[in-house]
Amino acid sequence: MKYSYLKSRKKSALTADMQLLFVFFSITFFMLVLTYLFLSFKDYRFAQDEMDMNQKKIDLNININTMQNQIAFIEKQNALAEMVHTKNTVLKDSITNLFDLVPQRITLSKASLLENGLILHGITPNKDVYNFMLQAPLRSIFHRTYSSFYPAQNGWMNFVSTNYIDKVEEELIDEED
Amino acid sequence: MKKIEISRQNIYIAVLSVLLLIFVLIFSFSLLIPQGKEYRIKRAEIKNITKELHEIENYHFEILELLKKMQGDNRNTITALETKFSKERFLKQHKEFFNTLTLSQRVQVDNEGEFIVYDVNTSSQMNSPKSFYNFLDAINKSDWMIGVNFPIEFKRDGEMIYSTFSMKIYSNPKESNTTESNTAK
Repeated sequence: MKYSYLKSRKKSALTADMQLLFVFFSITFFMLVLTYLFLSFKDYRFAQDEMDMNQKKIDLNININTMQNQIAFIEKQNALAEMVHTKNTVLKDSITNLFDLVPQRITLSKASLLENGLILHGITPNKDVYNFMLQAPLRSIFHRTYSSFYPAQNGWMNFVSTNYIDKVEEELIDEED
Repeated sequence: MKKIEISRQNIYIAVLSVLLLIFVLIFSFSLLIPQGKEYRIKRAEIKNITKELHEIENYHFEILELLKKMQGDNRNTITALETKFSKERFLKQHKEFFNTLTLSQRVQVDNEGEFIVYDVNTSSQMNSPKSFYNFLDAINKSDWMIGVNFPIEFKRDGEMIYSTFSMKIYSNPKESNTTESNTAK
Protein backbone atom coordinates (compact mmCIF):
# COMPACT_ATOMS: atom_id res chain seq x y z
CA MET A 1 0.00 0.00 0.00
CA LYS A 2 1.34 3.34 -1.09
CA TYR A 3 1.38 6.32 1.24
CA SER A 4 2.84 8.83 -1.21
CA TYR A 5 2.65 9.54 -4.87
CA LEU A 6 6.25 10.80 -4.97
CA LYS A 7 9.01 8.41 -5.85
CA SER A 8 11.91 8.24 -3.41
CA ARG A 9 15.04 10.09 -4.58
CA LYS A 10 18.26 8.13 -4.77
CA LYS A 11 20.74 9.60 -2.34
CA SER A 12 24.37 10.01 -3.50
CA ALA A 13 27.49 10.92 -1.52
CA LEU A 14 28.54 13.30 -4.33
CA THR A 15 26.31 16.13 -3.42
CA ALA A 16 26.73 19.72 -4.66
CA ASP A 17 28.61 20.59 -1.47
CA MET A 18 30.93 17.66 -1.92
CA GLN A 19 31.52 18.58 -5.56
CA LEU A 20 32.40 22.12 -4.50
CA LEU A 21 34.76 20.68 -1.93
CA PHE A 22 36.43 18.47 -4.54
CA VAL A 23 36.86 21.44 -6.89
CA PHE A 24 38.42 23.44 -4.07
CA PHE A 25 40.59 20.45 -3.17
CA SER A 26 41.74 20.03 -6.80
CA ILE A 27 42.56 23.71 -7.22
CA THR A 28 44.57 23.72 -4.00
CA PHE A 29 46.39 20.54 -5.01
CA PHE A 30 47.09 21.93 -8.48
CA MET A 31 48.45 25.19 -7.09
CA LEU A 32 50.69 23.42 -4.59
CA VAL A 33 52.10 21.07 -7.20
CA LEU A 34 52.58 23.94 -9.65
CA THR A 35 54.49 25.95 -7.05
CA TYR A 36 56.62 22.92 -6.24
CA LEU A 37 57.36 22.32 -9.93
CA PHE A 38 58.23 25.98 -10.45
CA LEU A 39 60.67 25.93 -7.54
CA SER A 40 62.18 22.64 -8.72
CA PHE A 41 62.62 24.05 -12.22
CA LYS A 42 64.23 27.22 -10.90
CA ASP A 43 66.57 25.17 -8.70
CA TYR A 44 67.54 23.10 -11.72
CA ARG A 45 68.20 26.26 -13.75
CA PHE A 46 70.22 27.78 -10.91
CA ALA A 47 72.29 24.62 -10.70
CA GLN A 48 72.88 24.74 -14.47
CA ASP A 49 73.75 28.46 -14.36
CA GLU A 50 76.06 27.92 -11.40
CA MET A 51 77.85 25.14 -13.26
CA ASP A 52 78.17 27.30 -16.41
CA MET A 53 79.38 30.31 -14.46
CA ASN A 54 81.88 28.26 -12.48
CA GLN A 55 83.22 26.80 -15.73
CA LYS A 56 83.43 30.31 -17.19
CA LYS A 57 85.27 31.47 -14.07
CA ILE A 58 87.76 28.61 -14.42
CA ASP A 59 88.26 29.42 -18.14
CA LEU A 60 88.72 33.12 -17.40
CA ASN A 61 91.19 32.39 -14.60
CA ILE A 62 93.18 30.12 -16.92
CA ASN A 63 93.16 32.89 -19.56
CA ILE A 64 94.22 35.48 -16.98
CA ASN A 65 97.02 33.20 -15.84
CA THR A 66 98.20 32.67 -19.43
CA MET A 67 98.08 36.39 -20.15
CA GLN A 68 99.95 37.21 -16.94
CA ASN A 69 102.64 34.74 -17.99
CA GLN A 70 102.76 36.41 -21.41
CA ILE A 71 103.07 39.83 -19.77
CA ALA A 72 105.84 38.57 -17.50
CA PHE A 73 107.64 37.11 -20.53
CA ILE A 74 107.28 40.39 -22.47
CA GLU A 75 108.74 42.21 -19.45
CA LYS A 76 111.69 39.81 -19.52
CA GLN A 77 112.08 40.34 -23.28
CA ASN A 78 111.96 44.08 -22.73
CA ALA A 79 114.55 43.91 -19.94
CA LEU A 80 116.82 41.81 -22.16
CA ALA A 81 116.40 44.23 -25.07
CA GLU A 82 117.24 47.18 -22.86
CA MET A 83 120.27 45.38 -21.46
CA VAL A 84 121.55 44.45 -24.95
CA HIS A 85 120.91 47.90 -26.41
CA THR A 86 122.52 49.63 -23.43
CA LYS A 87 125.53 47.32 -23.67
CA ASN A 88 125.94 48.11 -27.36
CA THR A 89 125.64 51.85 -26.72
CA VAL A 90 128.11 51.72 -23.82
CA LEU A 91 130.47 49.71 -25.99
CA LYS A 92 130.24 52.28 -28.75
CA ASP A 93 130.96 55.09 -26.25
CA SER A 94 133.89 53.13 -24.79
CA ILE A 95 135.47 52.60 -28.21
CA THR A 96 134.90 56.26 -29.10
CA ASN A 97 136.52 57.33 -25.82
CA LEU A 98 139.40 54.94 -26.37
CA PHE A 99 140.25 56.33 -29.81
CA ASP A 100 139.78 59.89 -28.55
CA LEU A 101 142.22 59.09 -25.75
CA VAL A 102 145.04 58.27 -28.11
CA PRO A 103 147.04 61.44 -28.93
CA GLN A 104 147.98 62.41 -32.48
CA ARG A 105 151.67 61.65 -31.90
CA ILE A 106 151.03 58.06 -30.92
CA THR A 107 149.91 55.56 -33.52
CA LEU A 108 148.07 52.40 -32.53
CA SER A 109 148.73 49.23 -34.48
CA LYS A 110 146.45 46.95 -32.51
CA ALA A 111 143.81 47.36 -29.81
CA SER A 112 142.19 44.50 -27.94
CA LEU A 113 139.15 45.31 -25.82
CA LEU A 114 138.59 42.65 -23.18
CA GLU A 115 135.78 42.14 -20.69
CA ASN A 116 137.87 43.75 -17.93
CA GLY A 117 140.85 45.14 -19.74
CA LEU A 118 142.48 46.77 -22.70
CA ILE A 119 145.64 45.83 -24.56
CA LEU A 120 147.16 48.41 -26.86
CA HIS A 121 150.01 47.94 -29.28
CA GLY A 122 151.49 50.97 -30.98
CA ILE A 123 154.36 53.22 -31.72
CA THR A 124 155.44 56.36 -29.88
CA PRO A 125 158.21 58.89 -30.61
CA ASN A 126 159.63 58.31 -27.13
CA LYS A 127 158.70 56.97 -23.71
CA ASP A 128 157.89 60.40 -22.27
CA VAL A 129 155.25 61.13 -24.87
CA TYR A 130 153.67 57.78 -24.10
CA ASN A 131 153.94 58.20 -20.31
CA PHE A 132 152.45 61.70 -20.24
CA MET A 133 149.96 61.53 -23.04
CA LEU A 134 148.63 57.98 -22.94
CA GLN A 135 149.67 56.17 -19.80
CA ALA A 136 148.47 58.93 -17.46
CA PRO A 137 144.86 58.87 -18.68
CA LEU A 138 144.94 55.05 -18.84
CA ARG A 139 146.07 54.92 -15.20
CA SER A 140 143.09 57.03 -14.19
CA ILE A 141 140.70 54.58 -15.85
CA PHE A 142 142.26 51.19 -15.08
CA HIS A 143 143.38 49.72 -11.77
CA ARG A 144 146.48 48.01 -13.12
CA THR A 145 148.56 49.29 -16.04
CA TYR A 146 151.65 47.61 -17.39
CA SER A 147 153.77 48.95 -20.24
CA SER A 148 156.67 47.51 -22.14
CA PHE A 149 158.77 49.11 -24.86
CA TYR A 150 161.04 47.89 -27.58
CA PRO A 151 162.80 49.95 -30.23
CA ALA A 152 161.30 50.37 -33.67
CA GLN A 153 163.30 50.50 -36.90
CA ASN A 154 162.80 54.26 -37.40
CA GLY A 155 164.18 55.16 -33.98
CA TRP A 156 160.75 55.40 -32.34
CA MET A 157 159.55 53.02 -29.64
CA ASN A 158 157.06 50.24 -30.00
CA PHE A 159 154.95 49.80 -26.92
CA VAL A 160 152.55 47.27 -25.47
CA SER A 161 150.18 48.64 -22.87
CA THR A 162 148.19 46.15 -20.81
CA ASN A 163 145.45 47.57 -18.60
CA TYR A 164 143.05 45.82 -16.27
CA ILE A 165 140.09 46.74 -14.12
CA ASP A 166 139.88 44.62 -10.97
CA LYS A 167 136.37 43.25 -10.71
CA VAL A 168 136.46 42.90 -6.93
CA GLU A 169 137.21 46.57 -6.47
CA GLU A 170 134.60 47.45 -9.04
CA GLU A 171 131.99 45.40 -7.19
CA LEU A 172 132.95 47.05 -3.90
CA ILE A 173 132.49 50.48 -5.47
CA ASP A 174 129.09 49.40 -6.78
CA GLU A 175 128.08 48.14 -3.33
CA GLU A 176 129.16 51.41 -1.73
CA ASP A 177 127.05 53.32 -4.22
CA MET B 1 19.81 15.81 27.37
CA LYS B 2 19.49 17.10 23.87
CA LYS B 3 21.16 14.92 21.22
CA ILE B 4 23.31 16.74 18.64
CA GLU B 5 22.31 15.68 15.20
CA ILE B 6 24.96 15.88 12.47
CA SER B 7 24.03 14.73 9.06
CA ARG B 8 26.15 12.19 7.29
CA GLN B 9 26.83 14.79 4.57
CA ASN B 10 28.36 17.18 7.03
CA ILE B 11 30.50 14.43 8.47
CA TYR B 12 31.87 13.70 4.94
CA ILE B 13 32.65 17.40 4.41
CA ALA B 14 34.33 17.69 7.77
CA VAL B 15 36.43 14.56 7.18
CA LEU B 16 37.45 15.71 3.70
CA SER B 17 38.35 19.20 4.93
CA VAL B 18 40.52 17.71 7.65
CA LEU B 19 42.17 15.41 5.09
CA LEU B 20 42.83 18.38 2.79
CA LEU B 21 44.31 20.34 5.64
CA ILE B 22 46.56 17.43 6.60
CA PHE B 23 47.63 16.99 2.97
CA VAL B 24 48.41 20.69 2.59
CA LEU B 25 50.42 20.72 5.82
CA ILE B 26 52.39 17.57 4.96
CA PHE B 27 53.04 18.72 1.38
CA SER B 28 54.10 22.17 2.51
CA PHE B 29 56.42 21.11 5.30
CA SER B 30 57.97 18.10 3.60
CA LEU B 31 58.41 19.43 0.05
CA LEU B 32 57.40 22.98 -0.61
CA ILE B 33 59.13 24.81 2.24
CA PRO B 34 62.50 22.94 1.90
CA GLN B 35 62.37 23.53 -1.86
CA GLY B 36 61.62 27.21 -1.27
CA LYS B 37 64.53 27.49 1.15
CA GLU B 38 66.83 25.84 -1.34
CA TYR B 39 65.59 28.24 -4.01
CA ARG B 40 66.39 31.25 -1.84
CA ILE B 41 69.87 29.92 -0.95
CA LYS B 42 70.68 29.15 -4.57
CA ARG B 43 69.38 32.52 -5.72
CA ALA B 44 71.72 34.22 -3.24
CA GLU B 45 74.59 31.98 -4.37
CA ILE B 46 73.92 32.79 -8.01
CA LYS B 47 73.90 36.48 -7.17
CA ASN B 48 77.31 36.15 -5.50
CA ILE B 49 78.74 34.04 -8.30
CA THR B 50 77.43 36.52 -10.90
CA LYS B 51 79.12 39.35 -8.99
CA GLU B 52 82.39 37.40 -8.79
CA LEU B 53 82.14 36.53 -12.47
CA HIS B 54 81.69 40.19 -13.39
CA GLU B 55 84.74 41.10 -11.29
CA ILE B 56 86.80 38.37 -12.99
CA GLU B 57 85.52 39.48 -16.41
CA ASN B 58 86.53 43.07 -15.66
CA TYR B 59 89.97 41.94 -14.47
CA HIS B 60 90.29 39.72 -17.56
CA PHE B 61 89.48 42.71 -19.73
CA GLU B 62 92.05 44.88 -17.93
CA ILE B 63 94.75 42.21 -18.28
CA LEU B 64 93.86 41.73 -21.95
CA GLU B 65 94.14 45.47 -22.57
CA LEU B 66 97.48 45.57 -20.75
CA LEU B 67 98.76 42.61 -22.77
CA LYS B 68 97.67 44.20 -26.05
CA LYS B 69 99.32 47.47 -25.04
CA MET B 70 102.55 45.73 -24.09
CA GLN B 71 102.51 43.67 -27.28
CA GLY B 72 102.01 46.88 -29.26
CA ASP B 73 104.64 48.88 -27.40
CA ASN B 74 107.26 46.12 -27.58
CA ARG B 75 106.43 44.77 -31.04
CA ASN B 76 109.97 45.34 -32.32
CA THR B 77 111.56 43.51 -29.41
CA ILE B 78 109.10 40.61 -29.60
CA THR B 79 109.60 40.26 -33.36
CA ALA B 80 113.38 40.52 -33.00
CA LEU B 81 113.43 37.68 -30.49
CA GLU B 82 111.09 35.56 -32.60
CA THR B 83 112.95 36.06 -35.85
CA LYS B 84 115.33 33.31 -36.82
CA PHE B 85 118.82 34.58 -37.52
CA SER B 86 119.78 34.53 -41.18
CA LYS B 87 123.44 34.95 -41.98
CA GLU B 88 122.73 36.02 -45.56
CA ARG B 89 120.23 38.67 -44.55
CA PHE B 90 122.53 39.99 -41.85
CA LEU B 91 125.40 40.33 -44.34
CA LYS B 92 123.10 42.00 -46.85
CA GLN B 93 121.86 44.52 -44.26
CA HIS B 94 125.20 45.34 -42.63
CA LYS B 95 127.90 44.93 -45.25
CA GLU B 96 127.49 48.62 -46.17
CA PHE B 97 129.37 49.57 -42.98
CA PHE B 98 132.47 47.56 -43.85
CA ASN B 99 134.73 46.87 -46.78
CA THR B 100 134.50 43.16 -46.04
CA LEU B 101 132.34 41.35 -43.53
CA THR B 102 132.39 37.65 -42.78
CA LEU B 103 130.46 35.65 -40.22
CA SER B 104 131.12 32.22 -38.78
CA GLN B 105 128.34 29.67 -38.34
CA ARG B 106 126.18 30.44 -35.36
CA VAL B 107 126.72 28.18 -32.37
CA GLN B 108 124.35 27.81 -29.46
CA VAL B 109 126.45 28.73 -26.47
CA ASP B 110 124.25 29.12 -23.49
CA ASN B 111 120.84 29.95 -22.16
CA GLU B 112 120.52 33.36 -20.60
CA GLY B 113 117.47 33.21 -18.39
CA GLU B 114 114.69 31.94 -20.61
CA PHE B 115 116.43 32.88 -23.84
CA ILE B 116 118.67 30.89 -26.12
CA VAL B 117 121.97 32.58 -26.94
CA TYR B 118 123.88 31.92 -30.14
CA ASP B 119 127.42 33.04 -30.74
CA VAL B 120 128.66 34.27 -34.10
CA ASN B 121 132.28 35.29 -34.71
CA THR B 122 132.67 38.21 -37.02
CA SER B 123 135.62 39.63 -38.89
CA SER B 124 135.58 42.78 -40.92
CA GLN B 125 137.68 45.38 -42.65
CA MET B 126 136.88 49.08 -42.51
CA ASN B 127 138.39 52.44 -43.33
CA SER B 128 137.68 54.19 -40.08
CA PRO B 129 136.32 53.40 -36.61
CA LYS B 130 133.25 55.49 -37.49
CA SER B 131 132.05 52.57 -39.59
CA PHE B 132 132.09 50.44 -36.47
CA TYR B 133 130.13 53.07 -34.51
CA ASN B 134 127.53 53.17 -37.26
CA PHE B 135 127.40 49.39 -37.24
CA LEU B 136 126.75 49.40 -33.46
CA ASP B 137 123.93 51.90 -33.96
CA ALA B 138 122.50 49.79 -36.77
CA ILE B 139 122.43 46.49 -34.88
CA ASN B 140 120.31 48.08 -32.17
CA LYS B 141 117.69 48.61 -34.88
CA SER B 142 118.22 45.32 -36.70
CA ASP B 143 115.70 42.49 -37.18
CA TRP B 144 117.38 40.41 -34.46
CA MET B 145 118.40 40.90 -30.86
CA ILE B 146 122.16 41.18 -31.18
CA GLY B 147 124.74 42.23 -28.64
CA VAL B 148 128.36 42.78 -29.58
CA ASN B 149 130.53 40.91 -27.18
CA PHE B 150 134.10 41.06 -25.91
CA PRO B 151 136.84 40.49 -26.90
CA ILE B 152 136.94 43.02 -29.70
CA GLU B 153 140.15 43.38 -31.59
CA PHE B 154 141.17 46.15 -33.96
CA LYS B 155 144.33 45.71 -35.99
CA ARG B 156 145.87 48.22 -38.33
CA ASP B 157 146.53 46.79 -41.77
CA GLY B 158 147.92 49.57 -43.94
CA GLU B 159 145.11 52.09 -44.45
CA MET B 160 142.51 49.58 -43.29
CA ILE B 161 141.40 48.47 -39.86
CA TYR B 162 140.88 44.79 -39.48
CA SER B 163 138.47 43.92 -36.67
CA THR B 164 137.32 40.70 -35.08
CA PHE B 165 134.60 40.41 -32.50
CA SER B 166 131.84 38.05 -31.44
CA MET B 167 128.14 38.72 -31.40
CA LYS B 168 125.55 37.22 -29.13
CA ILE B 169 122.22 36.58 -30.81
CA TYR B 170 119.32 36.18 -28.43
CA SER B 171 116.29 34.14 -29.32
CA ASN B 172 113.05 32.96 -27.75
CA PRO B 173 113.13 29.45 -26.27
CA LYS B 174 110.86 27.94 -28.92
CA GLU B 175 112.52 28.86 -32.15
CA SER B 176 110.31 26.33 -33.91
CA ASN B 177 107.47 28.81 -33.43
CA THR B 178 109.13 31.27 -35.76
CA THR B 179 107.96 31.31 -39.29
CA GLU B 180 109.71 32.11 -42.49
CA SER B 181 107.27 34.99 -42.96
CA ASN B 182 108.77 36.54 -39.85
CA THR B 183 112.25 36.24 -41.23
CA ALA B 184 111.35 37.49 -44.67
CA LYS B 185 110.22 40.96 -43.72
